[in-house]
Amino acid sequence: MGAVFLYASYNKILHPQAFAEAVYNYQILPDAAVNAAALALPFIEMVAGLCLIAGVWLPGAAMVVALLMVVFTTALIFNQIRGLDVHCGCFSTQALHGPASLWTVARDFCFLVLSVYLLVRTVVFPIS
Amino acid sequence: MESKSIMRIKALRQAAAVVVIACVLAVGTNFLRQNGIPFVGDWSTDVRFSDDSGQSLVISLKKASRMYAESEAVFVDARPEYQYDQGHIKGAVSLPWQKVNERFMEVAGNLEGEKTIICYCNGENCELSHELALFLSDMGFEDVRVLVNGWTVWRRAGLAIQKKEKKDLDNV
Repeated sequence: MGAVFLYASYNKILHPQAFAEAVYNYQILPDAAVNAAALALPFIEMVAGLCLIAGVWLPGAAMVVALLMVVFTTALIFNQIRGLDVHCGCFSTQALHGPASLWTVARDFCFLVLSVYLLVRTVVFPIS
Repeated sequence: MESKSIMRIKALRQAAAVVVIACVLAVGTNFLRQNGIPFVGDWSTDVRFSDDSGQSLVISLKKASRMYAESEAVFVDARPEYQYDQGHIKGAVSLPWQKVNERFMEVAGNLEGEKTIICYCNGENCELSHELALFLSDMGFEDVRVLVNGWTVWRRAGLAIQKKEKKDLDNV
């Protein structure tokens, strides 16, 4: 999960404007909050991903990753239900990768399950 | 051994620290980098659908329909091909943004000339037409515009549309 988050953050950090457009297209946040979220999210992914890989602050990083996965998956499902033909913006900011689909939701759901498992093993029932 | 509640408080503190460190990094990086963005952005239609110099590419439905009636513009549908097949602006050329590199040469001949090129897709926030318009500008076409939410506004206005014949669809 650490590597997934680190990889996901890379393209977004390189292209802040393109990622801000992806966040805007989700039509969930108020316009005024779009840029701030687009700036902060990739760095939260990066720091949490690095913590998971390095084994530093594992419970905290697992909590952040699980929370982010809940937010991302909910946003994707929400827009699939609304029928908004939006680009995922998950791993790449390039629209050439096509709009989000049920496959994207399924993939995110798998990551969500993994991150919840990680949270359970580090916070709820920690391995002593 | 630490109790579970202490573990959870510790996890919460660590999570908060992760977020704070990330935000400091985000602000610092954005401040130092050349392609930084403002913390509060302008998301008006004219700004969103603009070219690299900040010039708006947006064309109104009124102007687009007048140019259509006077054959002064060629319309380019940036949506995926199956959506074009289901219905499009009458006479529009299909150039799906997802396949622009492989299809461009095929349709380039239809776009040459003195006419204005009007790109459209569907939805207020659909970026396909904007991306396509920027691509066509880079390819040397001088007058490229975007009809925002083109397919929906065109249809709602009762303007000319067409769809692929069923026999054509069967042959796809």
